[in-house]
Amino acid sequence: MKSKNNKFAIRTTDLKKIYLTGLVKVYALNGINIEVKSGDIISVVGPSGSGKSTLLNMISALDRPTSGKILIDGVDITRLNDKTLSKFRNRRIGFIFQSYNLINRSSVKKNIELPAIVAGMPKKMRGKRVSDLLELVGLKGLENRKPTTLSGGQQQRVAIARALINEPAFILADEPTGNLDSKTGNEITDLLCEINHKKGATIVAVTHDLEFADKTRRIFHLRDGLIEKETEGFSYNEACKRA
Amino acid sequence: MNVSEVIRLGFGALKERRTRTILTILMVMIGVSLITSLDGLGAGFDNYIEEQLNTLGANVLIISSSEGGGGGGFGPPVQGPETKLTSQTVRTIDRVLGIENTVPFYRGAVTIKSGSEEKTISVTGTDQSKLKYITPKISLESGSFVSETDNTGIVLGYNVAYPADLDRPFAKRGQIVSLISFEVEETGGGRQTVKEKKKSFRVQGILEELGNSQVDNTAYISTSAANSLLNKNNIYDGIYGITRDADENEEIEERIRKIYGKNIGIISPKSLIELIQEIVGTFTAFLTTVATVSMFVAAVGIITTLYTSVLERTREIGLLKALGYGNRTILFMFLTESMTIGILGGILGILTGVIGAVLLGRFVLSSFGGSGASALNPVFLPIELIEVFILALSLSIIAGLYPAWRASKLSPINALRKE
Ligand SMILES: Nc1ncnc2c1ncn2[C@@H]1O[C@H](COP(=O)(O)OP(=O)(O)O)[C@@H](O)[C@H]1O
Ligand SMILES: [Mg+2]
Repeated sequence: MKSKNNKFAIRTTDLKKIYLTGLVKVYALNGINIEVKSGDIISVVGPSGSGKSTLLNMISALDRPTSGKILIDGVDITRLNDKTLSKFRNRRIGFIFQSYNLINRSSVKKNIELPAIVAGMPKKMRGKRVSDLLELVGLKGLENRKPTTLSGGQQQRVAIARALINEPAFILADEPTGNLDSKTGNEITDLLCEINHKKGATIVAVTHDLEFADKTRRIFHLRDGLIEKETEGFSYNEACKRA
Repeated sequence: MNVSEVIRLGFGALKERRTRTILTILMVMIGVSLITSLDGLGAGFDNYIEEQLNTLGANVLIISSSEGGGGGGFGPPVQGPETKLTSQTVRTIDRVLGIENTVPFYRGAVTIKSGSEEKTISVTGTDQSKLKYITPKISLESGSFVSETDNTGIVLGYNVAYPADLDRPFAKRGQIVSLISFEVEETGGGRQTVKEKKKSFRVQGILEELGNSQVDNTAYISTSAANSLLNKNNIYDGIYGITRDADENEEIEERIRKIYGKNIGIISPKSLIELIQEIVGTFTAFLTTVATVSMFVAAVGIITTLYTSVLERTREIGLLKALGYGNRTILFMFLTESMTIGILGGILGILTGVIGAVLLGRFVLSSFGGSGASALNPVFLPIELIEVFILALSLSIIAGLYPAWRASKLSPINALRKE
C-alpha cells in the first residue's frame, strides 16, 4: 500500500467533503491539497464554518471524505475499513479537543490510560507512562484527582497527556486553547511546541488564536472549504523551535 | 484490548448512575424472586400432597353407602338411594376385577374414659392386620394390633394417647379404658331417648404419630367389637377396596359403578389428590405467568436504562471511538453493563425468592392451623435455580443488545459534536 511518494507524513489530493443535512448539501471542503512533512508543526486558521474541523476530522480518520485521497505516511486511509481505522487512530493519532472531553467520573490516571487500555498496553507500562507524562505536562502527583477538580488549563494538560500515551506520530488539535484565557492558552501552546520538539510528533492544530498560529512553522488559511493561502509563522524560530 | 479494564469502565458508568442502576437491578430481582419462590412453593406443595398420598395409600378406593357420604362420617348427609354395605356387598366388591382385598369397617364417635379423664374420639372397628394397606406408614409405637377374635383389645392413635392439652399420657399400654357410645332411639309417638352403651377395653398398643390427623385421633378395635358397641347391626360404614395398582383406580371405580350405579359412594384418594394438584397447578401456572411478565417488564427496564445511558453518554462514546475503541469493544462494554444488572438482579432475586418462599411456606401452614403438621417446605432444585439465573442473564443480554448496538454504531464526529 505504500505509495512512491512517501516523503510526506500527510498528503491530501483534491479532498472534498459534502454534508447532507436533509435536502441541503453543505460543501464543507472543496478540494484541499496539502503536504505536511514528518515532524512539522502546522496551524489551520480561518473563519468559523470554513471547514477547519472537517479537514482535521478527515486527516484523523474520524470521518470519510466524499472524494479525494488522504495519504498518511504514504497509506491512503480512505481505503481502509472501520476496524483498521479504529486501530490507526488508536496507535498513530493523539487527539486534543477544545472542550477537553475527559470522563469526569474517572480519575486523571484512568483518563490518560484510555487509549492504552484498548491498545492492550500492560498495566505496569501504563503506570510508568502516566507518571512520565504527568511530569511532562506539569501535573505531577495529580493522578487520582477527578477532572472536575482541576482548572481548565489543567484539564487540557490531562487531555494532552492522554493524546501522548500511545506515542503517536501525529497530534491533531481542534482549537486546543479555545476554552482558555490567553495566559493559560500560551502555556498550552508552549507545551505543544515542546512536545513537537521533544517527541518529534507531527502536529496539526486548528486555531482562532493568531498568537498561537504565529508560533507554528506553517499556517494554512482556510476559506469556504479551500486553502486560500499559506503563510509562515513569524515567531516559529524564537518560540516553538526553542521551547 | 484489555478486557478487564473495559469491563471496569462499564462498572464506572453504572456506579455513576447509581439510583437508576439499583432500580433496574431491583426490577430484575423482583421478577427472578417471584419465579424462584413460586417454583419452590409449587414443588413444595407437590411434595406435601405426595406425602399425604403416601400416608393414605394410593391404591385404595373408599366405598361408602351413598354418594357424598364420605368415608363414613364427613360431608353433608345425602338423601337419596343408598346401598347398605353388608358382608354380601363386601363379597361382591371383592370379586371386582382389579380389587385385591376388601377391608370393611365400622366407625363412630364415642367418649373414651381413662381414670378421671374423658374425651370424645373417633373409633374404628376393622381388621387391623390390613391397616397397612390403607395407611402404609402406620406403625406401633408400642404393643401390638388387636386380632379380629379379640373383643376387648384397643389400639390408641397417637393423639388419643398423648393429647396436646394434657401434660401426661391419657392412657398407657395395659391400662383399662372404657368406651361409651350413644344411640338415639325412637320410642314411638315422636319421642326419643338416648341410649348409652358402655364397654371396657384393655390398651393393647399405641400408634406412632402418622401426620394424618384422622388416624392420629382414632382408636381401633376389632370389627365385631365395633359392631356391637356402635349398634351397627352388621351394616358397615365403609369398605376399603385395595386395588392392584393405583393407576387402575378409575377403571375399577367404573366397574363398581356398573354394579351399583349412583347408589354407592366411591372416593379414590389418588384422583382426589390429582384434582387438587390440577387446581394448584393451574394456579401456580397463572402466577408463574405473572412472574414471567414481570421478568419481561424488567427487561424493558434494562432497555430503557441502558438506552438512556447511551443517550447521556453520547459524547463519551464518541470520544472512546475517536481514541480507537472499536464497535465491538463498545458493544461489549454496554453488554457488560446489562449483564451486570442481570447477574446482580438474578443472584439477589434467587436469594430473596428462596427466603421468601420459606417464610411464606410457614405462614401458609400456620394460617391453615395445621394440627402439628410439618411446615410446607418449598423445594429448590439447583438445576432450576440455575435455569432461572440463566433466564435472567439471557434476558438482560437480549435487553442490552439494542442499546449496545446503538452505542456501537454512533459516529464519532456526530457524537463529539453533540453538546
Ligand atoms: N456533521 C455535519 N453535518 C452537517 N454539516 C456539517 C457537519 N459538520 C460540519 N458541517 C458544516 O460544514 C461546514 C464546515 O464546518 P466545520 O468544519 O466545523 O467548520 P470550522 O471548524 O471551520 O468552524 C459548516 O457549514 C458546518 O455547518
Ligand atoms: Mg471547528
